[in-house]
Amino acid sequence: MAIPHDEALSITQEAVIGALGLDDDEATPDSTLLDDLGAESIDLLDMLFRIERKTGTKIQAADLADYVQGGIPDEEFGDENGIVTAKGLEQLKKVMPQIDADSLAGKLEAEKVITYFTVDNLATLVAQRVGG
Amino acid sequence: MKLEGRVALVTGGSRGIGRGICLALADEGAAVGVNYRSGKDAAEEVVELIKSKGGHAVAVPGDVSEWEEAEAAVEQTIRELGGLHILVNNAGVSQDALIVNMDPNDWLKVMKVNFGGTFNCTKAAFNHFALDRDGVIVNISSVMGEQGWMGESNYAASKGAVNAFTKCCAVEFARFGVRVNAVLPGFIPTDLVEGLLTVDGGKGISKQILLKSFGQVEDVASVVTFLAGPDAKYMTGSFITVDGGASTVLGLGSPLKK
Repeated sequence: MAIPHDEALSITQEAVIGALGLDDDEATPDSTLLDDLGAESIDLLDMLFRIERKTGTKIQAADLADYVQGGIPDEEFGDENGIVTAKGLEQLKKVMPQIDADSLAGKLEAEKVITYFTVDNLATLVAQRVGG
Repeated sequence: MKLEGRVALVTGGSRGIGRGICLALADEGAAVGVNYRSGKDAAEEVVELIKSKGGHAVAVPGDVSEWEEAEAAVEQTIRELGGLHILVNNAGVSQDALIVNMDPNDWLKVMKVNFGGTFNCTKAAFNHFALDRDGVIVNISSVMGEQGWMGESNYAASKGAVNAFTKCCAVEFARFGVRVNAVLPGFIPTDLVEGLLTVDGGKGISKQILLKSFGQVEDVASVVTFLAGPDAKYMTGSFITVDGGASTVLGLGSPLKK
């Protein structure tokens, strides 16, 4: 039984604000965690502990990458130069609907994908996982 | 009692300094997981002693130098004592020899227990601590981790590693409400350092210690209890030396002697 997106968003925003020491209005849904908010790996870990404390659901940092990649093997997600394939972009549109897949086609490095991950994207994952 | 309602796991708790730490924590009201590798009877005796005084304790088997066993020891403590708030990484071994004579496997064996056990139990306990935003780790290091002594290169290196690890843990864990400090005992006669007393009852060494005697297990245990409790709530990343002043003095004679 998943929780409503609104509820997940508010839990996620609270976790992001707490972990990064932000003001209440800074963790907007469309802020990217790494680029806009400057989160590092230990900040991400802190957010996930805060979410777990609130919801009782454990999300591992490693789960994030798996969730974004949607189970597509590395060699199909990125080409030999590490650029996200058309198949990879189709997947990204599902978990990060805000990205402009057309303008990123042929340019997006697989390693940079996570820099597009927003507060709202994390909330979507939280909504799915909690009670799931 | 300052540790009422707290649960502690003490690695290598069946004898020596670890035994003293188990008893001291229990005296302050903590429930104690008494970890042991081979001393089952001795660990159970510590458990019985704590129970006879009205405390709570369980014997927790496990060779903490092995990750799976360290993880199981942490899980058993949480399961049987209802939580975990204090981890004392005490389990240690020594295998003294001059470097030139040291078997190349002996440094690794000592490192695996003294540092590896500390790493394993810390990692195993961290998720629980961080989720509760509540946890204290006390690492039992040694003054040898900061100084050199004949024949103790492997032991000293392992304790130096524990010291560096203590600082790194303090850095990484502070935001999760977890404090990490180390106690550095000096010369405490236990099974680990039985050689200390073989010549002249150890007098040659004890008279060089500023406080003129070897330390007792209880002298270390009381400092561990302090670090584990609320009086040390603003301390993390600190080392406390408990050595009767032994490592304070330069040790090159007395220039004022006429």
